Amino acid sequence: MLKESTLEKDKLIDETLRHFEIEEREKLDLLPNLVEEWKKPEEEKFYAAQRGFTTILLGGLTKAHDYLVQGGFEGLGYKVQCLECPDSEALRYGKEMGNRGQCNPTYFTVGNLVKHLIQLRDENGLSVEEINKNYIFLTAGACGPCRFGMYEAEYRKALTDAGFPGFRVITFEQKVDMQAVKDLGLEMNFKFYKTLIKAFIAADLINALGYRIRPYEVNEGETNKVLEECKDILYKSFSQKKWLSIALWKIRKKIAKIEVNYLQPKPVVDIIGEFWAMTTEGDGNYHMQSWLEKEGAEVHVQQVVFWLMYTIWEVEKFYTDRIHLKKHDEKGLKGEKPKKALRLIRLSRVLLKAFYGTYARLAGLKMVKLPDMTEIEAYAKEYYNTSLSGGEGHMEVGKLIAAAKKKKSHMVLSIKPFGCMPSAGVSDGVQSRIQELYPDIIFYPIETSGDGAVNVYSRVQMMLYKAKLKAKEEFEALLTEHKVTTNDLNGKAAAKKVQKALHRSPHRSTSTASNVALELV
Amino acid sequence: MEENQHVNSAPYKSPSKNESESQKVSRLIIGMDVGSTTVKAVVIDPETKEILWQNYERHETKQPELVRDYLNKITDSFSSVPRENWRIFITGSGGGTVSPHIGSKFVHEVNAVTLAMEERHPDAGSVIELGGQDAKVIIWKIDPVTGNKQVFTSMNDKCAGGTGATIDKIVTKVGMKNEELIKIPFDESKLHHIAGKCGVFAETDVVNLLKAGVPSDEIMCSLAEAIIKQNLSVLTRGNVLRDTVYLLGGPNTYLPFLKEAWKKRIPEIWKERKWKTPEGISPEDLIVVPENAQYYAAYGSALFGIHEDSSIGVYKGIDELVNYIENGRKDKLLSDGASKGLVKDRKEYKDFSDDYSIAPFQQATYEKGSTVKAVIGVDGGSTSTKGVLMDMDGKLIAKAYQLSNGNPIQDTKEILAQLRDQVHSQGAHLEVMGFGTTGYAADVLEEAMLADVNLVETVAHMRSATHFYGDIDVIVDVGGQDIKVLFMENGRIKDFKLNTQCSAGNGYFLQGMAQQFGIDIKEYANYAFEAEIAPIFNYGCAVFMEQDKVNFQQQGWQKEEMMAGLALVLPLNIWQYVVQEPNLKKYGKRFVLQGGTQYNLAAVKSQVDYIKEKVPGAIVKVHQHAGESGAIGTALEVIRVVQEKGESSFVGLENAIGITYTTTTSEDTRCYFCPNHCSRTFIDTTTPTGLTARYISGFSCEKGTVEDEDALKTLNEKTKDLKKLYPNIVDYAAKLSFRDFKPQLIPEGQQIEEEKEIRSLFKKRNMTITRPLERASDEWIQKRKNIRIGIPKALNLYSTAPFWKAYLQTIGIPKANIIFSDFTNDELWSQGSKWGSIDPCFPSKVANAHIHNLIFQKSNEKRHIDILFFPIVTHLQTQLKNTLDNAACPISAGAPEVIKAAFTREKDVFKEHDMTYYAPNFKMDEENLFKDQLFQNFNELLGVTEDENEWAFHEASKALQDYDRLQKEKGKALIEDLKAKNKVGVVMLGRPYHNDPGLNHDILESIQVMGFPVLSMQSLPQDKEFLDEVFGKDVQEGFITDPMDITDVWKNCYSENSSFKIWAAKVAARHPNLVVVDLSNFKCGHDSPIYNVIERIMETSNTPYFTFHDIDENKPAGSIKIRTKTIKYFLERYEASLANRQFRLAELEERMNKKREELHDLHRVSGDFNVQFIPHPLSVEANEKETVSVS
Repeated sequence: MLKESTLEKDKLIDETLRHFEIEEREKLDLLPNLVEEWKKPEEEKFYAAQRGFTTILLGGLTKAHDYLVQGGFEGLGYKVQCLECPDSEALRYGKEMGNRGQCNPTYFTVGNLVKHLIQLRDENGLSVEEINKNYIFLTAGACGPCRFGMYEAEYRKALTDAGFPGFRVITFEQKVDMQAVKDLGLEMNFKFYKTLIKAFIAADLINALGYRIRPYEVNEGETNKVLEECKDILYKSFSQKKWLSIALWKIRKKIAKIEVNYLQPKPVVDIIGEFWAMTTEGDGNYHMQSWLEKEGAEVHVQQVVFWLMYTIWEVEKFYTDRIHLKKHDEKGLKGEKPKKALRLIRLSRVLLKAFYGTYARLAGLKMVKLPDMTEIEAYAKEYYNTSLSGGEGHMEVGKLIAAAKKKKSHMVLSIKPFGCMPSAGVSDGVQSRIQELYPDIIFYPIETSGDGAVNVYSRVQMMLYKAKLKAKEEFEALLTEHKVTTNDLNGKAAAKKVQKALHRSPHRSTSTASNVALELV
Repeated sequence: MEENQHVNSAPYKSPSKNESESQKVSRLIIGMDVGSTTVKAVVIDPETKEILWQNYERHETKQPELVRDYLNKITDSFSSVPRENWRIFITGSGGGTVSPHIGSKFVHEVNAVTLAMEERHPDAGSVIELGGQDAKVIIWKIDPVTGNKQVFTSMNDKCAGGTGATIDKIVTKVGMKNEELIKIPFDESKLHHIAGKCGVFAETDVVNLLKAGVPSDEIMCSLAEAIIKQNLSVLTRGNVLRDTVYLLGGPNTYLPFLKEAWKKRIPEIWKERKWKTPEGISPEDLIVVPENAQYYAAYGSALFGIHEDSSIGVYKGIDELVNYIENGRKDKLLSDGASKGLVKDRKEYKDFSDDYSIAPFQQATYEKGSTVKAVIGVDGGSTSTKGVLMDMDGKLIAKAYQLSNGNPIQDTKEILAQLRDQVHSQGAHLEVMGFGTTGYAADVLEEAMLADVNLVETVAHMRSATHFYGDIDVIVDVGGQDIKVLFMENGRIKDFKLNTQCSAGNGYFLQGMAQQFGIDIKEYANYAFEAEIAPIFNYGCAVFMEQDKVNFQQQGWQKEEMMAGLALVLPLNIWQYVVQEPNLKKYGKRFVLQGGTQYNLAAVKSQVDYIKEKVPGAIVKVHQHAGESGAIGTALEVIRVVQEKGESSFVGLENAIGITYTTTTSEDTRCYFCPNHCSRTFIDTTTPTGLTARYISGFSCEKGTVEDEDALKTLNEKTKDLKKLYPNIVDYAAKLSFRDFKPQLIPEGQQIEEEKEIRSLFKKRNMTITRPLERASDEWIQKRKNIRIGIPKALNLYSTAPFWKAYLQTIGIPKANIIFSDFTNDELWSQGSKWGSIDPCFPSKVANAHIHNLIFQKSNEKRHIDILFFPIVTHLQTQLKNTLDNAACPISAGAPEVIKAAFTREKDVFKEHDMTYYAPNFKMDEENLFKDQLFQNFNELLGVTEDENEWAFHEASKALQDYDRLQKEKGKALIEDLKAKNKVGVVMLGRPYHNDPGLNHDILESIQVMGFPVLSMQSLPQDKEFLDEVFGKDVQEGFITDPMDITDVWKNCYSENSSFKIWAAKVAARHPNLVVVDLSNFKCGHDSPIYNVIERIMETSNTPYFTFHDIDENKPAGSIKIRTKTIKYFLERYEASLANRQFRLAELEERMNKKREELHDLHRVSGDFNVQFIPHPLSVEANEKETVSVS
């Protein structure tokens, strides 16, 4: 009893003391702060039940790609809206809301989304709650070694700072979540990816036809006008879930009517570089593709499907590098069936090539095939270790060598954002040696930052001048060699009907005019 | 020093034919070069290519107008030549805008110069042209197979813009006149480090040198050296300049010391790269500056026209051009994108001017014969020196301001004289009670004048603002070079941001711009307010802004508009680039703007508008003594200090005014106490009363402060004691990386156990068998004993070298045969940088120099290096959990390939030195793959067997663990000690190469010698006890699954080094005795995405956090010092708060004990009592921290 009473009293003393301690701590300013350690905000998901009232915003590729992907997704039952091509205003938003020292694709694309949401809020009068509820942004995510892998965080930071905290940014990678959460809004299943790839191919083809024909059109502006009509046809085919083959056949007939004169010796300029900087068609690369065309070049761009081929090659390499190991690691092939996986990867490559080839033939894009990744790897590996990934990896180097060896172009322009790690920080250093080995090819790297357009144009012009001279010399040498004049060629061209928009002469020389001439002599 | 300052004033000159002859030609071609500052034109006879007419004038941003005037003059001069026979070809950065209006064809400048050179100087092998904005290199290479000449052309990249413009600005900054400039000889014994890659970095370096008292001529020579180095390393893209080299452009033409520097450096490269120059001619004579080269671009564009079809470039008169000037320009600009001007009308201007103009200072009046007792505060700023007199009650009685004329002592003498004269002119006598100084020149002035106070700038500005404006929330100080934004709470600095190097030079930029337009800075606002529209400048980098300026100029913007545009960009630079916070509201409503730039009403207008837009209801004041706020704050501190100590140490006013000084930079003053061999400057001062002092500047470490061996010995002992007291684990880790970890070599006859799968008819089972370890052949083993392997101390080698060294040792390479390059130092960088071809981050570029160091320094006849091993590490091992990937930075990983290209592009340097360059790839975070890669590669290279590989892998991994363990042991002990003593330790957040003293710019050492120990991230303990203490709560509450998990704060954890930085930041945020210094390099693409994450972690936990972002090859000692002084100030306060807390805890304990006794007594007396216990919601174990964050 006594013991119990003592214990009770000790407890009371302790409690009193504890109370006293808190009071004294307050007096002595010894209370802790209420601030917790920082945690990243929770991310909201997009659920199937929200599909009916949710608009998916997307953008970031060429205008044709964005438009046709929109059509494809609409065909799958989603509400979709493409963002405009990012411009300087988007860049300003991106810089204001983003981290300092980012590369400009981040600023442009992040800023473009912020700009659009601000427009929805301020011009369309939607509240932030309505925007957060009714819109999501879909973008490619990547586990790349350059900062591209971290873009997604930039979106979240910028959106929070711009007054849209909680706005949902969904990346393609969320297919992993799909398995865990079955009712996610975006069903990233086979149908989804098939539609996406078909839209990519269709957009690639229409772009490629444009770049092939536009420099030689007789009536200025005709190509773009026809292509716009063609895009609409393709868009409808996707959104109304009709046969793509039929739509491609229809556009082929339209494009074939464009009047051309292929006997103009124009320099061929290959654009390579960092994916976004070389792909965008706006202020992000100073409208480089159209500017080069205006300056008298035939431009070859990298198609989005080429990038898919590269990612397939990367996955295949991942397996072939490890398949022979006696033991596998967590980050390697542990728990996987590598042989089966390799078979699937190789099959997907074959299928992609087959689809691309078939669609290209239907659209009238002759003599085109997807790049052989093994060949590019073989070209590059002596100079650029092919295990170095990030950005375009070894591809830039491989493509330059291929362009030089196969006389594919007079000039290779490598466009990359200012401070691009894999491209400006590594590839360009290696390219200086490639240039030395292949002095006939003109290579020029430019870094873009959204400002100083005159400086950039000036530098490209410096090189384009040389390319123009080369194209002219090449054509004139050919005329001399075959003792023909331009007039002779024009006559023959009319007879042989080579001056057709969809005509393509076999590749024997570099410029289109030279190849046509060689076909005629 | 710009070309246009030497413009031929003659408006008309016929160099080859007289006027009557000129009239005889039937056709003519006009070649015109519309540059960034001047327009040059020639008229040639297309038959003979002779120049008939030429002119060269500055356009003052009115390019179309000047082109119009030229064309009118040409029309007058060649009236007899039928107009249809005129053709015109135009070049230059401004040519594109004008060209379409006159029918001309645009020719690229490089092509034009190439044609002119081929015409005039067929012997030319190379051209280096330095223009106002662009630098160009042309090299004519001879194809070894065909013998044909091929032209290689290159222009400076984006960052290196502003060559001539940068020289111009720096000439103004050092205060030299043209006549002095042309007399400077190039003296290579007096060179100081200046960054050549970036105009802003160069300016930062120059300010630091100037304020350390380095003479102007030495600075100009150093600048020439820097420009040449940059051009040789990047602009030539690794090509050797072929002889004969022609130097073109304004700076090359008019700066003899620059020409001399080229003549010195180019032959050195020829020698090093074994380039054969023609016999019988001195290599120096193969570097030539041709006469009249300023016309080459114009002449070349005219030559271009000769080869073009006659229908191209037909001159169509000036009517369209005139129409464009008068009507079309504005429409075009508006359609291209423009912002509104600063004010919409005169009324708005007047209202604003009435509210914000700073009232003229009313100087105090004194009675004749009276004595004025006052203190002096001097702010030796980056571009100007300011001084104030303040009476002992804190009243400002006189002030003086002047732009720097070069030497800080001279500037201060003049300022002091001005202050004295303001009192003496009234017949009163000035008695100086104390003297204090702040700013870039504070140290030299403190030494020379025995200042009572040497106050850190931030504090000086804070004191001044609160003195005049009391309770304020934000102070925005915009000086010449620096932007400081101070955030206040209860009259104390709560947080602050300083610009990085990249956003430096804003005030001075506006001043420079005014100067370029020939306008007094005081008139800036008057012009800027005139503009109705303004171009939209990009903010951030001053070099990019400079390029924008040229761009806008070419588009036809006028100077008033550009000045308005630049004023408008200032707040973006402050708030979006330096502060990086779109939400200004969170800082409060009361803003004070100060700093010399605030005298510019246009700059004030844009800032006030910006703040008021972001913070409705904001009260924005402009400090009534905006320019002198630093000096005022210092004077206030002087009053406090002299009152406290009762006397002043100041040498006295007349003594200070009469000080004489000499500055010496020579081989005798060079510091040889470490491998950096810093070029030091001694400033010796003597007062009229014979007091002497010596101030030494230009050194990069403490050793530079002494002059002889004895003093060095004493210093070393002192430093040793200090370092013992305040360890620097980063420095320890740097050395530890390359130490011998004594791996166990493979014993003779070693047996190994192996798991084997035994298959029988019905089943398979595993069994362990013992067998001899398979060794390589004797031949290989013998060969390995004699092979020497060189490894660069670069990039991720700072975290992986223990592995490689131990691996190589284990397979039989003697440890003495594993040779590392030196730690980065100036000499190493200077020698090796010339081999670069691109311009990525400094840590990557410096790797080139390390390979150079191994080839040319470490390898010699006696100890020849056979293999250069530079692993391509694509992925690093990690100690973290749940990461998505552990990638190395792609630039670090790819650097070995870039280096291979650099040393093999024109000829194979490795082969020449009989070396094998070996750069295989490794993925270190996948053990089995990594082992396989090791085997595949070292089997190929050194015949390593699988068993040897397995053994070596084990030993190498052990070495890496030891490397980690040793750091952690030190870290653990240090943290325990810090806790016991209520001290703080500074954790360096950085990438592995930041351990290199040459890359961290000794920032950590300077923090260490200030009395704060430094910890590496790897030294942070990871034992259970420590991790439980730090992260136990987070794990318990389910935020993370493991203490080494960072997914609660960072989802995109792909980059190992970035992820580990975040983990270390989390540790520091949770530990009261740890604060953070975050180092990051310019162009670091893996750090920039996490800037904000680390900042959030630090700010939320109120952990002192200091950043040194945008570190590059330059080492702005003065700027670093200002920052480290600030760090010291804050850390001392933070430590004091820790100690104070400890004191209060002791007090609490005493009160608790007393209370306990009372309660027990009460219990004994009453036998019973009752209380109601109220639990408190807060956990008493949590810690409090103070907020500080510096950029």
